[in-house]
Amino acid sequence: MTFFEDQLKQGIFQISYCEKCNENIWPPKEICHICFNESKWKKSENIGKIIEFSKKDSDYFGLVEIDQGIRIMGDISSLSTPKTGQIVTMKVSFDSKPHYSFTVKNN
Amino acid sequence: MNNVAIVGTGQTKFSKDDGDVEKLLFESTKNCIQSVENCESKDIEGVLVSTNNNSKYLGAILSETIGIQPKISHSIEHLCSSGTNALISGYAYISSGLADMVLVSGVESATNPGQVLDWDKSRGSFDHPIYWASMLTKSHKTKFQTTEEELAIVSAKNHKQAMDNPLAYSNQPRTISEVMNSKQITDDLRILDCSRSCSGSASILLASEEKAKKISDQPIWIKGIGQKTTSASFTKNTLEEIESTRIAAKTAYEMAKVEPNDVDVAEVHDAFSVCELMAISELGITDNDKSGEFVRNLFNTENRMINPRGGLIGTGHPLGATGISQTIEITNQLQGKSEKRQISNLKTGLVHNMSAAGTSSSVMVLGN
Ligand SMILES: [Zn+2]
Repeated sequence: MTFFEDQLKQGIFQISYCEKCNENIWPPKEICHICFNESKWKKSENIGKIIEFSKKDSDYFGLVEIDQGIRIMGDISSLSTPKTGQIVTMKVSFDSKPHYSFTVKNN
Repeated sequence: MNNVAIVGTGQTKFSKDDGDVEKLLFESTKNCIQSVENCESKDIEGVLVSTNNNSKYLGAILSETIGIQPKISHSIEHLCSSGTNALISGYAYISSGLADMVLVSGVESATNPGQVLDWDKSRGSFDHPIYWASMLTKSHKTKFQTTEEELAIVSAKNHKQAMDNPLAYSNQPRTISEVMNSKQITDDLRILDCSRSCSGSASILLASEEKAKKISDQPIWIKGIGQKTTSASFTKNTLEEIESTRIAAKTAYEMAKVEPNDVDVAEVHDAFSVCELMAISELGITDNDKSGEFVRNLFNTENRMINPRGGLIGTGHPLGATGISQTIEITNQLQGKSEKRQISNLKTGLVHNMSAAGTSSSVMVLGN
């Protein structure tokens, strides 16, 4: 299991970034794609914005942008139909794959 | 740089049942070699196998199976566009002079491991292609006012065209309303909007100009090639665009010295209905907001210009074989050998094959 996955398991979304280049590295890697130096880790702010969404059976899912530019797919909890641009909070976990769960704020 | 021609083609039937990759490879290769009248197998200097299957050493295994000892043999994997990547590698071996004749064989079993890219942590637990396809479809509907009926027409058209393709996994006709009422996968995707994973194999024999003129009276020339990889993770892309296709197409058109409106026939990568609409726009064949109307017009006038063999949706999608099967269709069309699905007066054909939500694309321009 990678550090990223292990942290997801503990409910923490870690972002790899390069201090020197001031760049987030996504998907997470131990090496910066610009300068090839070792990356550092920081915790996500766990807040995102809905880019696009759809629904499977009775559950919404979609593409959400977190931490200025990282886009990930997850389930979306909302009492009414979500909207693109809506702000969501994020919870994460990991079993055999990552799980990203978003909740629409001020529902 | 030597010119490179397609001199032989062979395929198997596509099927949703599990298949033995070695047997399938041999069957399409046998059909390919037998399609060339004066082909001496021992003159094949390269054997390339494209597949997502985990079997090892298939290039050498296929070579031994057909009793040859080529200079070059290896496998090529690039998810759904493995086939065109293998063809373009074969092209490069011949144009550089490293080989005179190269066999390119693609194969897949229906239960292939190529649908999910574990590496891409962007996808979370939504790792099946139906989820990115839903995002692309929803976005296309919103941005270009594409209707569910227009999306359904892509599938109805390709199923209809596949009825005349004896190698397609199914020859069942599907009406627009059948597509629109087929099982709902997500709010933005129905089962008949999806191409189905299949077992199958397709093989092409490539040759240098000198060799082609000796062994073929109808060589089809690879006139233009463009390839582009923009990322591996799907969420780097803008949902309304397939940038890799746009860039690959531009390169291929420039190399072939043709314009999009010169394209008489094209096989495009309709992994899902929305992909055909996006592909024909990025290839410059129509505009994004007119793509639905363009396909509706093709359907209403029974014009088979796009995906005459039935595309991935109508024919089935054996990942490693798909790009090669697409290229065989355009080759046969340009040779006038497409029987019931033959389009008349063809000069220029195009093949478009892509991987992982359009993060990588290959475009080839063929001519007779
Ligand atoms: Zn750096």
